[in-house]
Amino acid sequence: MSNLKTTLTGYASYRGKEGHYSFILHRITGLGTALFLIIHILDTSFVYFFPDLYQHAISLYRSTLFGIAEVGLVFCVFFHGVNGLRVAFFDLIAPRLWSVPKQRFSTKITLLITLLMWVPASAIMLYNMLYHNFGWFGG
Amino acid sequence: MTTNTRTIQKPKPNFETKSWMFMRYSAILLIPLVFGHLILQDVIVGVHRIDLDYVAMRWASIGWRIYDALLLAFAFAHGVNGIRQVLNDFIHSDRGRKIMHWGLFLLWLIITAIGAIALIGGVRPIS
Repeated sequence: MSNLKTTLTGYASYRGKEGHYSFILHRITGLGTALFLIIHILDTSFVYFFPDLYQHAISLYRSTLFGIAEVGLVFCVFFHGVNGLRVAFFDLIAPRLWSVPKQRFSTKITLLITLLMWVPASAIMLYNMLYHNFGWFGG
Repeated sequence: MTTNTRTIQKPKPNFETKSWMFMRYSAILLIPLVFGHLILQDVIVGVHRIDLDYVAMRWASIGWRIYDALLLAFAFAHGVNGIRQVLNDFIHSDRGRKIMHWGLFLLWLIITAIGAIALIGGVRPIS
């Protein structure tokens, strides 16, 4: 238990600003995506193991609660992907560019690219949810 | 004046080095795979149009089955290895890490096997 406290206190009290926030966000979005991935592999495998239950699983995903969670999941995947690409670029191609100013700048660009992808994607997903679940836009 | 040079032997890559490399190389592969999957299934098609017939139609094409097999193989291995790296920050004893590593390996093996069986077996009709 002391390990848990030590590590979490370190996560919270370290003052690395952008690089630190991006590290924390990378971990949270990664864990969230991995957790969903376990559920998603199992629910998709229903098409073979329990085909009559597959439709039931899908109707859960169509609910409003899961619709909102889906918007969050897409943010997690987009941020984790763009930030992961940033890390991979610095580590594999240009390790000499690992410097504090470059990191501060690149984390901001990462967030900007993530938002540019996420905002239109969420708009379409929310439109679909309002159309099917609430009868908006003539649905 | 003479300059002395000495060569430093690069250490042999161990498991952690390879796992570090795997996370970065699989990341590059996963960008088109996962972003493509999300944009197609969640945004363009949408969950309200996905059902058993849709999956059957999609998996009728060998190309999409290979696409999904690559997703299953690389995304889930990347995910489980990521969980392992996070938990290594919290579990420091050799024994604890050993239990955690084997537990995650079994989780990866079982879930991947379930996914692979479904992917190969395909959609079965409702009984």
